[in-house]
Amino acid sequence: MLEVSGLTRRFGDMVAVDDVSFPVPSGGLTGFVGGNGAGKTTTMRMVMGVLAAHAGTVSWQGHEVTREDRRRFGYMPEERGLYPKQPILDQLVYLARLRGMTTADARREITALLERFGLGARTKDPLEKLSLGNQQRVQIIAALVPAPIALVLDEPFSGLDPEAIDAMADLLREHARDGVPVVFSSHQLDLVDRLCDRLVVMARGRVVTQGTGEELRAEAALRYRVVLDGDAGWVRDLPGLHVRDVAGPEAEIEVVSAGAEQKLLTEATARGNVLDFHRVVPRLSEIYREVTA
Amino acid sequence: MSVVKTKSQPVWQIVARREIAVRATDKSTLIGTAVMLAVIVGVLGFTAWSESREKSYELAYSSAASQAMVEGIAERASGIDEKVHIDPVAVDDADAARHALEEEQADAYLRPTAEGWTLVTLEDPDSELRDVVRQAVEAIVLAGNADAAGTTAAELTRGSAVALDQLEGDSELNAIRYVVGYALAIVFYFASIMFGMTLANSVVEEKQSRIVEMIAAAVPLRQLLAGKIIGNAVIAVAQMLVYVAVGLVGLSLTDFGFALPALSGAIGWFVVFFLIGFVVLSTLWAVAGALASRTEDLQSSSTPITMLLMVMFFGALYLDGVGEIVGSYIPPLSAVLMPMRLVDGSAAWWEPVIAVALLLAFGVALVRFAERLYSRALLQTGGQLSLKAAWRLEE
Repeated sequence: MLEVSGLTRRFGDMVAVDDVSFPVPSGGLTGFVGGNGAGKTTTMRMVMGVLAAHAGTVSWQGHEVTREDRRRFGYMPEERGLYPKQPILDQLVYLARLRGMTTADARREITALLERFGLGARTKDPLEKLSLGNQQRVQIIAALVPAPIALVLDEPFSGLDPEAIDAMADLLREHARDGVPVVFSSHQLDLVDRLCDRLVVMARGRVVTQGTGEELRAEAALRYRVVLDGDAGWVRDLPGLHVRDVAGPEAEIEVVSAGAEQKLLTEATARGNVLDFHRVVPRLSEIYREVTA
Repeated sequence: MSVVKTKSQPVWQIVARREIAVRATDKSTLIGTAVMLAVIVGVLGFTAWSESREKSYELAYSSAASQAMVEGIAERASGIDEKVHIDPVAVDDADAARHALEEEQADAYLRPTAEGWTLVTLEDPDSELRDVVRQAVEAIVLAGNADAAGTTAAELTRGSAVALDQLEGDSELNAIRYVVGYALAIVFYFASIMFGMTLANSVVEEKQSRIVEMIAAAVPLRQLLAGKIIGNAVIAVAQMLVYVAVGLVGLSLTDFGFALPALSGAIGWFVVFFLIGFVVLSTLWAVAGALASRTEDLQSSSTPITMLLMVMFFGALYLDGVGEIVGSYIPPLSAVLMPMRLVDGSAAWWEPVIAVALLLAFGVALVRFAERLYSRALLQTGGQLSLKAAWRLEE
């Protein structure tokens, strides 16, 4: 398990990351979300040791992370690129060698991955001759060789076409299934919702909420939706409820004091027919908007 | 799963190997080297060819007396200078001779005067022609005069031989020392600029393409810096050795070959100073690369180091006397001036040893300073940084 505790970083007077703590459990995908300037990239850079932390620690399997550990972490920085003029196989082998692989092993693994990504025929092409999507695929391979013990990916899905997004998602799931802790940041909340086992939400340098999807949903207030055969405006007068929305016969409410929804239902059946009454499960994107608002 | 060896090759070696491989297959490097070699071979070849070429001169005369003299000169010419050949040409009078000179039908015209002889040419006569004519006329006249006095030229000149013994070495060798000294300064200057710019470019390329963040996450930046500088130095020194070797072989084929034994020690020292000076300056070039965030910034971020190189270069050209001696100890100026003093023979054996020690100490201090700037500036991608701002950056 990769664990971040109390990470803090200032730039001048500005606190970019303030006492950030979260675990990245093995065998699962952890999504890292937050708006621009929330501190995600700064946090990930500190996790990778590219940026020094002013306070806090990053630990790996219970001990403070070492350079040798990090050498085996797969990393995809937010601002990324490779050598534009060098053939892709050559530069991938170079990067793998910097991370401790022998040339022969690196060649074998990279060739296999290039083939898997449909680039088997282009190993000798310089990077700049490839389309942007293919360049992105090469970048992904750079993070995956040698087989990483953890994956730290900053916006791995940005710039990918839908097909590549699916391939990338499969890849991340594969690594998670093999027991590798994976943390990635993304602006695509639905994607994060679909993929992630855990979520860490940052805003203004702090973690505002975190947990599994179920935990986050459970934390959110209970919500019900009701559809009547007459105007629903009267629900505003009921105690213990927060009315989120009323439109003609429809209303969406949040339970403030337990049992208030039952009183609503009793009142509604007394007034007329109830056409629909159900619990609303908020989407992660809604939770996200609420916690970061 | 891949097998990762715990004991793998040191990172700087991997980096240096990539630098060498990329540079050695780079077309502009190969073309540049080929052009430089062609220039060296061409200059030395031309020198050797023009030295060995036989020169023939058409020498005009317009009277019977001068005909005898010109024919005498033609006879003796090869005895005085084996590469000079004189062809006598008859003309009617002085006007016709003038015309022949102007029309380039003759190279010179010899006419008698009251005091002796006059050699007429359009412009300054070639030194070979002048020497041959002078010596031949002198010998012929001396022989004639001796005959008239009832003796021989040998009798007259007996006991007048002056043997030469130079305490300060001969002037030709000194001239060669002078030229070689400047040639080495120029070679150092251009090699530093060319390879320095290439190094700065490869640093900014890594910064601009953002690959440096992936490298920084995997290895210490100090190792990246060391690898880049060492790789670059290997290429530069290899190229320099090729130039020096071709130059020395070429020089040995010319008449200046006699100077080689006297210069070989100094040229050996030059390679040592070149290597150290080059590495020291390379760290500064790497910093210039790290301060820029795009290739376009490089021009301005490398200004301090190009200024320093200019100071070193002009210091090498203009310093002499005490200034030169002092300068030959002050790093990094010593990297150029001490080899120059060794070439011109004015430095004792222990002087380069002290200068190298000082240069190394300076180099170590500078590398520490450069490493801090390099590793901090490298991950700052928002525009060009000043030296001061880079120094204050936090990791």
